[in-house]
Amino acid sequence: MRLDRELTCAQVVELVTAYLERALSPADVERFEEHLVFCDGCSNYLEQMRLTIEVTHHLREDDLPPALQERLLEAFSAWRPA
Amino acid sequence: VETGVIAYKFLDEGAVAPFTGFRWPAANGGPGEWSEASSLEPCRGGVHACRVRDLPIWLARELWEIELDGEIRELDRKLVAARGRLLRRVEGWDDASRDAFARFCLRRTRLRVGSVPVLSGFVGDIEDFRIQGRIAIAAFAAARAAELRDGPAAYDAERRAQADWLAARLGLEQHL
Repeated sequence: MRLDRELTCAQVVELVTAYLERALSPADVERFEEHLVFCDGCSNYLEQMRLTIEVTHHLREDDLPPALQERLLEAFSAWRPA
Repeated sequence: VETGVIAYKFLDEGAVAPFTGFRWPAANGGPGEWSEASSLEPCRGGVHACRVRDLPIWLARELWEIELDGEIRELDRKLVAARGRLLRRVEGWDDASRDAFARFCLRRTRLRVGSVPVLSGFVGDIEDFRIQGRIAIAAFAAARAAELRDGPAAYDAERRAQADWLAARLGLEQHL
């Protein structure tokens, strides 16, 4: 796409969730998908996100081993936005 | 626009839509079944298709001729219709054509920026993409190189040249 409407890979990565949740405007969806046509890296990333959502959608709290649950809770509590 | 329009559609292998994963009822010797859209909203709902001039933007593995019907909206880079059905696969869009198309992009880029120090790297990049079979990015890179040398109008002109090449090579008709 032309430079005046180009999305960079970094922007595509930031917009992936909005794209999957159908929260982007039609114009931005078009720019997003135009990028996907030629960018294998972003296409792969999108597919990984789709698969991750699909897999985790089926997880219940009980499915996590207690040790992993503890590690995740520690990681989340230590996390601070950059 | 009028109904009953013949247009084109790029799909992934197996007649699968690249963005939605929808598997199109394929045409086997005759037209495929009609697919109806639940809504007609560009990029959200509707049957999306290409005029010849849109083709270079949406390149994928398989190219199909598609008949659109019902309400049809004509947008800058696509058509969106209420329903559509695949008519036939454009068999000419094969490995040989894909490679020839990438070579076409390469030749034009070499002529345009091959001797421009900051842009000549595009030539090697496009050759690498061609060898890897990454046709969509080869075509995009050719248009981008044109834009960087000669401005946005050159990007559009390069895309038009690519569309013209596809139409001539594959015998596509411009119905709109």
